[in-house]
Amino acid sequence: MSILNKQATILKLGDINYKRNKQIILHNLNFEISSENFILMTGQNGSGKSTLLKIMAGLLKPDSFDLSYKQCVQTNSIEKKNSWSAAKKFLRQNFCYLHQTPYLFSGTVYDNIAYGLRHQGLSRSEISHKVSEALKIIALPHLGNRNSYALSGGEKQRVAIARSWVIHPAFILLDEPFANMDKHSRNSAYDIINQLKEDNIGIILTSHDPHSGELDFNRHMHLHQGGMIEKQA
Amino acid sequence: MATLQALNLLFSGDTELWEIIFLSFSVSFRAILFSAPLAIMIAFCLAYLQFPARRFFIALFNTAMSIPAVVVGLTLYLLLSRSGPLGDLKLLFTQEAMIIGQMVLCFPLLVALSHATLQAVDRRAWETAITLGAHPFRAVFTVLKEARFGLTAAILAGFGRIIAEVGSSMMVGGNILHYTRNIPTAIALETSKGSFAQGIALGIVLLLMALLLNLFLTYIQGQGEHSL
Ligand SMILES: Nc1ncnc2c1ncn2[C@@H]1O[C@H](COP(=O)(O)OP(=O)(O)O)[C@@H](O)[C@H]1O
Ligand SMILES: [Mg+2]
Repeated sequence: MSILNKQATILKLGDINYKRNKQIILHNLNFEISSENFILMTGQNGSGKSTLLKIMAGLLKPDSFDLSYKQCVQTNSIEKKNSWSAAKKFLRQNFCYLHQTPYLFSGTVYDNIAYGLRHQGLSRSEISHKVSEALKIIALPHLGNRNSYALSGGEKQRVAIARSWVIHPAFILLDEPFANMDKHSRNSAYDIINQLKEDNIGIILTSHDPHSGELDFNRHMHLHQGGMIEKQA
Repeated sequence: MATLQALNLLFSGDTELWEIIFLSFSVSFRAILFSAPLAIMIAFCLAYLQFPARRFFIALFNTAMSIPAVVVGLTLYLLLSRSGPLGDLKLLFTQEAMIIGQMVLCFPLLVALSHATLQAVDRRAWETAITLGAHPFRAVFTVLKEARFGLTAAILAGFGRIIAEVGSSMMVGGNILHYTRNIPTAIALETSKGSFAQGIALGIVLLLMALLLNLFLTYIQGQGEHSL
C-alpha cells in the first residue's frame, strides 16, 4: 500500500448490524478503510452490498454501529462518533453514494453537476469552471445544456459520477456502476474512475460479478451471508 | 332572452358582475395561498417520514376530502356566530370567514393529492440530494421541485374545488353585495329571485374557468411526462 497521503481519511467501522423485517442482512461487520483504498466489494445479489454502502453514506440507519476516524494521519488523533446523528453527519460529509441506476434531477446536465457545488459558497464562474472541467473528464463536453432526461443510460451514469467528483468527497461509493453500461460507456467510466484515484478519493465499487476485470483494485472485500471477508486483491 | 342578456352583461363590462367575479377569485386565491404551504408540508411528512399514526392520517385526509361544503359552513357558522366559542372574533359574514371555510374545504384535497404526487417521486431523488451534501431543507425543496407538475396540478384541483363552492360561502359569507357575494352565492341568489341573466353570465364564467383549468392541467401533465 502506498505511503499515506497527508489528507487521507481513515475510518474504522465496527459492530455494524442491520436487520430488515427480522431478516439479518449485515451481521457484526468490522473493517477499516482509508481514502487511499480502491476497494472492490463483491457478493451475490441480495447479499447486502447496497445496504452497506447506504449505511456508510449515512442514508440508512443501522441497528448498531461503532465509528471512529482519523482525518489527518500526522495528528494521530482518533475521533469517535457515538450517536447516529453525529455519525450520520460525518458520513454524509465524507461519502458520496451513487445508485446503480443514477437519479438525475430534472433540468440540464449542467444543473445536475452543479447541484453539490451550489451550497459551498462558490462564485458562478468557479462553479461553471468546475462543471466544464467535469464534462471534459466524462468525455461529454458539449452536453452541458442537454436536458437530463434526454441522455442514454451510460451517459446518465457518467454525469452522475461527475456530479460526485466535483464535490470531492473523501470516498465515492459506486453501486454496480457497470451493470447497465455498454463497452464504450464502460471505457469512459474507467477513465473517470482513474481520475478519482488520482484525486485521492477513496473508492468502493460493488459488483455481483467476482471478476470485475480491468480496474486496478488494491483491496477486495466479499459479502456473504451477512458477514464480510477480505480477499486477496 | 336570458342568455343574450347574460352575454351582454359580460361583454358590456357590467361593474356589479365583474366585481362579483373579482371577489370570487380574490377569496379563493387567498384561501389556496394560505393553505397550500402547510398542506404540502404535511403531505411531505406523510410521504417521507415513518411515524406510527401515518396511515391513520392518510386515511383521515382522504375521508375529509368528501366532507360536504354545507357541513363545513354549518360548523364554521356555529363556531363564529355571536354566541359561538369564536364569536368574539366577529368574523361571521366576512371575507375572512369565507376564506377560512374554503381553506378547510381545499386543505384535505391538497394534502391527499400532494401526498400522492410526493409518494410517487423516486426515493433516489432524496438520497441523491443528501449524498451530494444538501442540507435536509434543501433536499426537501429539491424533492418538491421534482414534483412541481403534480403539485401544481394539486393546487389547481384545490382551486377548482373552492371557486365553485356555494355551501360554505353562503353560510359564513352571507352573500352581501360588494363584500361577500361571490360567483356561486350570486348564482344561487339571483336564480332564487327569478332573474336569470346574471346567473347565466356567472355560470359561463365558471364553465370557462373550468375549461381553462383543465386545459392547463392537461398541459402540465404533458410537461410532467416529458420530464420523466
Ligand atoms: N426496500 C427493501 N425492502 C425489503 N427488503 C429489501 C429492500 N431492499 C433490499 N432488501 C433486502 O435486503 C437484502 C440486501 O439487499 P441489497 O443490499 O440490495 O443487496 P445487494 O445490493 O447485494 O444486491 C436482500 O435480501 C433484499 O431482498
Ligand atoms: Mg445492490
